[in-house]
Amino acid sequence: MGEQQSDGGVPGRRRVHPGGSAYGDRAAHRADGGPSGHLGAHGLDGPGRVGSRHVLDDAELELLLTAALIRDGIDAEAEQRAVAAFRAARDAGPHRARTRRRDDWRPRERRHPGRSLKATLSVLLASLTLGGVAVAAIGSVGSTDGADDRGRTPASTRAPGASAGEPGDTPSGSASAHPDRPAPAQDTEARCRAYEQVDGRGRAMDATAWKRLVEAAGGERNVTAYCAEQLARSEEKPGGTARPDKGADAPGSGGAANGSGNGDTGTGNAENGSGNADTGSGTDRSGGGGAAESGSSSGTSSGASGSSGSSGGQDRLAQPDGRRR
Amino acid sequence: MGQGGAPRRVQAHDGELGAAVARAQNGDEAAFSVAYRIVQPGLLGYLRGLVGEDAEDVASDAWLEIARDLGRFKGDGAGFRGWTATIARHRALDHLRRQRVRPRSSALEQDVLDLPGPHSTHDQALEAISTEHALRLVGGLPQDQAEAVLLRVVVGLDGPAAARVLGKRPGAVRTAVYRGLKRLAAQLGAEGVTDEAPRTLGESK
Repeated sequence: MGEQQSDGGVPGRRRVHPGGSAYGDRAAHRADGGPSGHLGAHGLDGPGRVGSRHVLDDAELELLLTAALIRDGIDAEAEQRAVAAFRAARDAGPHRARTRRRDDWRPRERRHPGRSLKATLSVLLASLTLGGVAVAAIGSVGSTDGADDRGRTPASTRAPGASAGEPGDTPSGSASAHPDRPAPAQDTEARCRAYEQVDGRGRAMDATAWKRLVEAAGGERNVTAYCAEQLARSEEKPGGTARPDKGADAPGSGGAANGSGNGDTGTGNAENGSGNADTGSGTDRSGGGGAAESGSSSGTSSGASGSSGSSGGQDRLAQPDGRRR
Repeated sequence: MGQGGAPRRVQAHDGELGAAVARAQNGDEAAFSVAYRIVQPGLLGYLRGLVGEDAEDVASDAWLEIARDLGRFKGDGAGFRGWTATIARHRALDHLRRQRVRPRSSALEQDVLDLPGPHSTHDQALEAISTEHALRLVGGLPQDQAEAVLLRVVVGLDGPAAARVLGKRPGAVRTAVYRGLKRLAAQLGAEGVTDEAPRTLGESK
């Protein structure tokens, strides 16, 4: 039988069926006839194959081991003992006992470590990816913003209407003494128009915007007059022509405004908010406004953003004009 | 094997085993017998590798505990194999501890009087090495490799289950199985060159 198996056919077949298909492989061997089934330790290395030592593959080895160590016959007596023990345990009491951790062989738990490792890694990867995207997005937005800021700082810090209303004006305005004027002016106009429609109805006048308008006008009673003046001025105003005059007024009128309490409360914030834009006249205002108003209550406009702050700045500057008229 | 799955021989029974275990947990005595018949051969083979000729006794002890704690068990057929293997292993280690006078391997080296039992025709073709020979070979392995090989091959556990029985990481068990099988294969191959009489296995070295 050694001769039969040393013909080299079996190793060739083993190459064709590597590893896992061992059972099919085995079946093929058996189909070859009785003798070739005796692969085992001996048969394959016949006299002609002494030089090339045959190494069993895993599947053959498994079969050898299972065949050697597992016998199908069941000892009936032992089985009866086990069943008797089962019966005794069942009859002894509730067969439901607390499941200890070592008794829990449910598949999910058993495979949990591997799965959780995978899940953890994928979650980590996903978060890194998303985080990277987010950081990249922040970077790109920030960079474009920065570029824009350099070009038109006033526009970005003021109300949106400003840049739309006077697109050509703002860049040059940033260099002039009062770049933030146009936007607050429009803010005020808008508020005034709305005020005319809402006046006396509901609680609309409690809103912050209205409060600011009232402050700018110097009192609720003055709002109508103030608005009329603002609207009239906006109609006559061609862009920023009036501004040099107002700019000249501002420092002086700032001092006057400081005395009027309420009207100025928002101003400190306003100038802080539009700090960039005020570089030209910043020295003047900080002297008059910043020092005087920092101590006063800024609660009403504490939440003011850059745009509303700058509108406050406008309000303050506009107010003296309105008073003097 | 190398692919990490349990041997097909075993997997085919797992569904049946799981159902039997579930019924046994509800008090079905016949179902417990079914589970016993499915599990016992592999368990006994594993115990033979651990304690040699005392395997039957140790298996009996293990089944007493299995019957007693069956209500605690949770899992399917494959899980039941792992659970019972864990119990059997503990019983076997207790047994070895009791008879520590002899080193463990002596149980495998002494002549195991088991003769090849009544094999089915399916197994007949594979009857190339005897139980004794196989035990001697497995007993010659380092213990971690021997146990890993037995759990994977004979009991039919998959890698993670074998690792849980042994209380090791799956990677370590995988490595142990790989090395153990390589070593066994090399030994069997080497014997093939020297042995003259293939069928008189009891005499082969």
